[in-house]
Amino acid sequence: MKDLKTNSGKPLHSSVKDLVEQVRSGAIDRRSFLRASAWLGVSVASASAFAGMKGEAFAQTETPADGGKLRFACQIQELTDPMLSSWIEASNLYRNCLEFLTYVDADNITHPYLAKSWTPSEDLKVWDFELDERAKWSNGDAFTPEDVIFNIERWIAPDSQSSNKTAFSAVEKVEKTGDHSVRITLSRGVSSLPEQLYSYTCPMVHRNFVKDGGNWPANPIGTGPFALASFEVGRQAVFNKRADYWGTPAHLDEIHYIDMGTDVTTHLAALASGQIDVIYRASIAEYDLMKSLPNIQVLKANPAHTLVMRMQVDAKPFDDIRVRKAIQLAADNKQMLDVAYRGEGVIGANVHVSPTQPDYFPLEPVARDVDKAKALLAEAGYKDGLDIELTLGNTQGKWEQDTAQVLQQNLAEAGIRLKLNVLPASQYWPVWDKVPFGLTYWAHRPLGSMTLDLAYRSGGAWNESHFASKEFDAALDKAMAVVDPAKRSEAMKEVEQILQDNAVIVQAYWPSRFCATSMKVRNYKLHPADYFRMDGIWLAQA
Amino acid sequence: MTLILFIVRKLGGAAAAMLTVSFLVYLALEVNVEDVAVKVLGQFSTDAQRAAWLTANGYDDPFFIRYGRWLWSFVTGNWGDSTYYRAPVIDLVPDRLAASGILAGGALLVMVPVGLLAGILAGMRPGSLIDRAVSLLSIVTTSIPDFASAVFLSAVFVFWLNWLPGASTMLSGFSLSEMVLPVLVLAFYSTGYLARVTRASMVEVMGTHYIRTARLKGASPARIVWRHALRNALITPVTVIMLQLPWLLSGVIVVEVFYAYKGFGTLLYDAALNSDIRLVEACAMVSVLVVVATQILSDIAYGWLNPRVSLLEATMGNK
Repeated sequence: MKDLKTNSGKPLHSSVKDLVEQVRSGAIDRRSFLRASAWLGVSVASASAFAGMKGEAFAQTETPADGGKLRFACQIQELTDPMLSSWIEASNLYRNCLEFLTYVDADNITHPYLAKSWTPSEDLKVWDFELDERAKWSNGDAFTPEDVIFNIERWIAPDSQSSNKTAFSAVEKVEKTGDHSVRITLSRGVSSLPEQLYSYTCPMVHRNFVKDGGNWPANPIGTGPFALASFEVGRQAVFNKRADYWGTPAHLDEIHYIDMGTDVTTHLAALASGQIDVIYRASIAEYDLMKSLPNIQVLKANPAHTLVMRMQVDAKPFDDIRVRKAIQLAADNKQMLDVAYRGEGVIGANVHVSPTQPDYFPLEPVARDVDKAKALLAEAGYKDGLDIELTLGNTQGKWEQDTAQVLQQNLAEAGIRLKLNVLPASQYWPVWDKVPFGLTYWAHRPLGSMTLDLAYRSGGAWNESHFASKEFDAALDKAMAVVDPAKRSEAMKEVEQILQDNAVIVQAYWPSRFCATSMKVRNYKLHPADYFRMDGIWLAQA
Repeated sequence: MTLILFIVRKLGGAAAAMLTVSFLVYLALEVNVEDVAVKVLGQFSTDAQRAAWLTANGYDDPFFIRYGRWLWSFVTGNWGDSTYYRAPVIDLVPDRLAASGILAGGALLVMVPVGLLAGILAGMRPGSLIDRAVSLLSIVTTSIPDFASAVFLSAVFVFWLNWLPGASTMLSGFSLSEMVLPVLVLAFYSTGYLARVTRASMVEVMGTHYIRTARLKGASPARIVWRHALRNALITPVTVIMLQLPWLLSGVIVVEVFYAYKGFGTLLYDAALNSDIRLVEACAMVSVLVVVATQILSDIAYGWLNPRVSLLEATMGNK
């Protein structure tokens, strides 16, 4: 215990003791211990040494080389206000210039960033953040508590359209407590607050952001290791290394993000012919091609990202729970995984919490029962079957449509005639939360409770199913306040059960995630949330 | 004088065509006012913001007044701003059009000599080995759609042989190697088509009496082809080439998108996908302009090649 230290130098939170006992008894694994203790402000170095991990996650076998230009194929989308962005790809651009209060690495462990330490109160309602006094904006201004207050207040303002408004709905007050310190007061205890501050919509913009026009690419002030040199939607964005960066300098001199359209085959062709070094994403359709190419490294991971076929509980005919249940019972989750994603993933239980998330509770999946589905439909007044439409946009690739087509066949067996309304990707996002039955891709969140908080809490900005349940909200509040990973997972049982019982979604499987880089790219890890921080990447010298 | 009359008349027709298209485009894109506000301001805008924007931009006026105003702005060069690219539309179009022009020019450079030569060689001796080979090849190339030949050529030259770059973004300046694949794909289809048309035309001309006379006179085969057959045999192929021009400029979306070539085709594609109304309108109008302009050029070239076709008659109607 005495080896454990907080980043702030203050005494350990009382929950750390429980965590220590659990990791010693084997109730939680060492990584869970690291994650949970990091939330409470314990330094990762001391925690990993304590748990006998000796910083293995951070060990490097090769000396990084400085210099060079990295070319990254991804879409260059329209970008104005980072807190409103709904594309993670766009966030990876501003991630080079804008920094966050905390940093969550590819192993889901939270580290200090613009905030060098944090100390939660016993009830996890009051959080004191100590900002790094070295941090400076690219225009020369110091990074101050005023910046933090400006950002958080803007996220949660009554007219805010940001998804942060729901994610930080517990924030009651943000105040300056010193030249470099900020206090965030919450209405309920939230143990994962530091982790949440690394959500892609949470970068710190300058306190004069709105005053200066509220358009980041037009006025790209940031605290980060790179400076935006050019930004052309649909073409490319170029970032140059900043010589005057306040922290550890980046290795690369330049990063060129190149828009190669939406066809991943083109991206792979460009990678194979040495025109680019990294592709942002590939799907199952390109997996075989990718594996067959020499001189590229294929990265594979199992993040908690998924397709959710959600029904709006206040729209006909989905306002009848019997209809929703019938759809869930008729759906064959395993077949969707096997056919649409060639079995490369894990079956879902219609609860939108992944087995890879530490707060997952292994609920029994809904067993397929077509007869029962038919009976429920008859009871709901659809003896002769039911006509419904599912809207989708293939936002991540054709496998979305493949999944929907399997569902179509599954539902047909129960007499449900499902029509697919396939839109171009960019036309799906304007209606994603409006259509009664839609197939939406949900990106990874470190915790299941974070996703559920965004997607299913009553009245949430991103609550696309319009699901509203006081019991669910209360159970979620309870789970979110628990630090102890084992207890947290136990608390999630009720949350997951309510969601499953209400049959809001068909969430068939958790697909594996793929991407590829050229052999010379070093230290590039597939971040489960697709948050690619580039300052630690380097290119091997030829 | 005849030519001027002809051009004036053609321009009048072109203006009428553009007016019709402009009305249809405007009707399709801007009849639903609510949609326009959402597309311009984005999905995160509030109802109040949308209403204010609509009022400020004159969307409370009747449809025909809005159409007239839009048309006038368009004619006077005020094409509005692109919501996706966040830039004035008029700044975006010329560069992209030039990029597509280069691609189309490249395709023409391959297609015209190869297609004509193959067609002429095949048509000189119908039934010969060359004729059969050319006919077979041109049937094969015209039967493969461009999206398939793009994949096929990439598989061979990029993934297998590793000779050529897989994407043609041209971001670091003009690159000849990046041009090869898109040009080949475009030329692949058109060359076969042109060879077939030229062959048919050549066979027809070679069977005429005046060619037989020339042969009987003892003229060499080269002289017969060069002096007597070619000019007449070229009338149809030239029409085909002129008809390919608008296709090369605005119909190359598949090839441009596949190779990530930043031309006019990808501009129109991205504009349509992102509901960028002003840009779609401008692209549609420019496409029509390209089509009518090439038609006029094609008519002039046709008249030059075939003096029996009188431009005056074409102008006044053949009565």
